[in-house]
Amino acid sequence: MKLIVKGEEKEYKEGLTLAQLVELEKIETPQYVTASVNDELLSAGEFEKTLLKDGDVLEFLYFMGGGGL
Amino acid sequence: MAFSNEQIERYSRHIILKEVGVKGQKRLLNGKVLIIGAGGLGAPAAMYLAAAGVGTIGIADADEVDLSNLQRQIIHSTKDLGKAKVISAKETMEEINPDVTVNTYHTFVSADNISELIKDYDFIIDGTDNFPAKFLINDACVMAKKPFSHAGIIRFQGQLMTYVPGEGPCYRCVFKNPPPKDAVPTCRQAGVIGAMGGIIGSLQAMEAVKYLLGVGELLTGYLLTYDALKMTFRKIKLPKHVADCPVCGDNPTIHELVDYEQAECDGAF
Amino acid sequence: MADIKTDEYVDITDVVCPVTFVKAKIAIEELEPGQILCVHMNDGEPVQNVPRSMKEEGHRVLKLYKNDDGTYDLIVEKGEE
Repeated sequence: MKLIVKGEEKEYKEGLTLAQLVELEKIETPQYVTASVNDELLSAGEFEKTLLKDGDVLEFLYFMGGGGL
Repeated sequence: MAFSNEQIERYSRHIILKEVGVKGQKRLLNGKVLIIGAGGLGAPAAMYLAAAGVGTIGIADADEVDLSNLQRQIIHSTKDLGKAKVISAKETMEEINPDVTVNTYHTFVSADNISELIKDYDFIIDGTDNFPAKFLINDACVMAKKPFSHAGIIRFQGQLMTYVPGEGPCYRCVFKNPPPKDAVPTCRQAGVIGAMGGIIGSLQAMEAVKYLLGVGELLTGYLLTYDALKMTFRKIKLPKHVADCPVCGDNPTIHELVDYEQAECDGAF
Repeated sequence: MADIKTDEYVDITDVVCPVTFVKAKIAIEELEPGQILCVHMNDGEPVQNVPRSMKEEGHRVLKLYKNDDGTYDLIVEKGEE
């Protein structure tokens, strides 16, 4: 199946969960990442039970804390 | 209020613009923006807003200028070492543009003082470096119905989003709770390239200027990310409304401001 | 310039580009649509640019008079906002 991950279309095996994709894509600090799947926001706790399907559009949103000191 | 000849010349490149003109420049001169954090993000934001003639600029920061700040915090100079950042920032801003009134708040923002701080401002810029402050600013702005610009920078990366009450999601819609202390690297531990603050802080200033002018499209409903190594900007669409957001959702559960455990970055000193 | 009645007058002979246009723009922004501004300007750059810039801003250039001393008077009607 095809997924659009971070703006790029790529081929993945069927039956992939969001948790597996996070591992495949080597997402940094995955437990603190928010995923956007077709415009819905999911926290890490929901990754395991989220089954991806052909055509899903995914983005990963990271905590970014710097800027002050 | 008529422009003086000096103002006509100072703001000529603004007044020429169709989107600004006389009315827009007057809006900027009557505008009030609060910058929380006089560091990597706040420095360029403060300088551009002062130069633009934003009439009242508040700047809040509890720290003093340290040598390790000067690689990126261009509002401060070597001569300012040891000086309160808000004072150093005020001096630079007034040198750039004496038209501007700079209010300084030499303090950490906290649940006790933030509502009072933001009360009189039209737009808030979050230039803080830690998650407790970022969540506090978000919650306070949502509750007080104040628009603000969130941003973060680390290594060669930066991101920002703009919250406008009723127009799109807040920071907490995207990130439900602050990460545990030290769970996510901050710029003190991970480093940051100096120009990153310049780019992202200037974008925050641009959002404030657009908001005051009432022109263009703000970064509401989007998170803009910048990867300097790949030299890519990505504008990631966010849901327009997050029903279960604990602060701006349909049934908010957060009704009071809280101070989360203090600053990820602070532990190191 | 007796045949058109003007509502406001601005002299931009004492400044150079781009303040020439800025002063003219400030003057016309103070008017209501349909009102008429006379812009007194020098030959050269202002005559080249100010009428064109006024048109680009959506105003109507009615006339450009050449005065005996080499200066010009541009008559502009303010357009809709």
